[in-house]
Amino acid sequence: MNWKVKMMQDLQPVLDLFEQFEFFLIAALVLALAYLALEHKDIVYAVFFFGFMASAVAGFFLLLDAPYIAGMQIAVYTGGISALIIFGVLLLPRAQDSSLETFATGRVRTMGLILSGVIMAISGGLALIFPWPETIPEGVPEQSQSLQGLAEWLWQDHGVYIQIIALIILTTLVGAVALLKMEKAEAMSSITGEFGVEAKPSPEPEAETEVVDTEETSEEAAN
Amino acid sequence: MVPLSWYLVVAFMLVGLGAYGMIVKKNLIRILIGAEIMGNGVNLALVAFAVYGGAFSFTAQGLIILVISVAAAHTALALVLMLMYNRRYGTVDLSIVQKEEVA
Amino acid sequence: MRLFIDFLPVIIWALFAMILVIIMLLASWVLRPHVLQNSEKTSTYECGEEPIGPARISYPYNYIIYTVLFVVVDVMGAFLWLLAASTFRLEALIVWQTIIFVLIIMGGIGFVLKVLPQASLSGQETLELYREAKAARKEATHH
Repeated sequence: MNWKVKMMQDLQPVLDLFEQFEFFLIAALVLALAYLALEHKDIVYAVFFFGFMASAVAGFFLLLDAPYIAGMQIAVYTGGISALIIFGVLLLPRAQDSSLETFATGRVRTMGLILSGVIMAISGGLALIFPWPETIPEGVPEQSQSLQGLAEWLWQDHGVYIQIIALIILTTLVGAVALLKMEKAEAMSSITGEFGVEAKPSPEPEAETEVVDTEETSEEAAN
Repeated sequence: MVPLSWYLVVAFMLVGLGAYGMIVKKNLIRILIGAEIMGNGVNLALVAFAVYGGAFSFTAQGLIILVISVAAAHTALALVLMLMYNRRYGTVDLSIVQKEEVA
Repeated sequence: MRLFIDFLPVIIWALFAMILVIIMLLASWVLRPHVLQNSEKTSTYECGEEPIGPARISYPYNYIIYTVLFVVVDVMGAFLWLLAASTFRLEALIVWQTIIFVLIIMGGIGFVLKVLPQASLSGQETLELYREAKAARKEATHH
């Protein structure tokens, strides 16, 4: 522990500079990945970029000295939510083909750009202009990155939070299975059609099926 | 220390990007990704405020934990609803519904 | 920042790992035979088998429930990890909190696993459906 304290005192200005550098690095990464997650043509790649963006946001949380939030972000967003969306894409084969996707026309796109630009300008301007340091009480930020304190706060003093989260999760499960409940014949309809059991063996059925046929007949002859 | 407003600017840029995705995109999955990006921006702003506001209180951490758990729950339900949409319309494109209403 | 100092060894290891990856890629580029790209080399590798049919086919909808179950256990594990990472003494209150938390979620998972076979296709039925369609297609191509 001693060398850490000594090193911190020696390297304080360098560390401050490095923190700014780190901030810009993570910010550039997060914004670029968020843009790619929205604009990449292939939706599978878009979901992967979203997962990477979520882990880069966890880097921000580490920079802000909130390790448990960072861990939760990686566990739930990167591990859970992006896996969930990838699985959803897997179950929706029509959503995977970008040629079937209709993209917005130029007018809608410019309108969306203008609207989100207005949102960004107003909120960003407010963030820069508003005197945050005066509204926030002075003082050294209390270093409360201890998992011990958080665990005591959450499990000992405010156990209702935990039970509320458990009930929300229970509701999710029941709701999901109630929404998915359907007749057997209807359930089969999801795997019929051109992407299901009636799928063509290959993009060029004529040439390919003949090859498969000859192979099968030769196997039968051998048997 | 990095000033608070920098974090807020990044958070609001994320919110703006997510809003752009939710306004412009027609594919339901892309709209969901936009919503998740907005949620990430809001989480970032919340954590930044909590850290710079004197003491990083456990209340804020508990709030963010709750937000993340609820995000997982609502994404699961949104995807199940998308599957139901796909069963009804055979696609996950929103423009079909818009056309049907016009016709 | 204190956390940054704590993570310094990780950064050193990460740099080391990146350098190692570059060295290994370069070494394999030096050592491998440089042949032209042919159809054998660029074809999809599927455990040595010829890939049959398109890669993107649809599955029954109820498979998403298993991912939802994974996410639920993920969130539960994150909370229990917080409890496991801290070292406070065993109190009746915390024990009961944990028991109720786990029981609620396990009740939900048990409900889903009980209702799911009634709600939609089971794996056996899906398999039979695929086999029937395959047999029908084989007959159609023979005639």
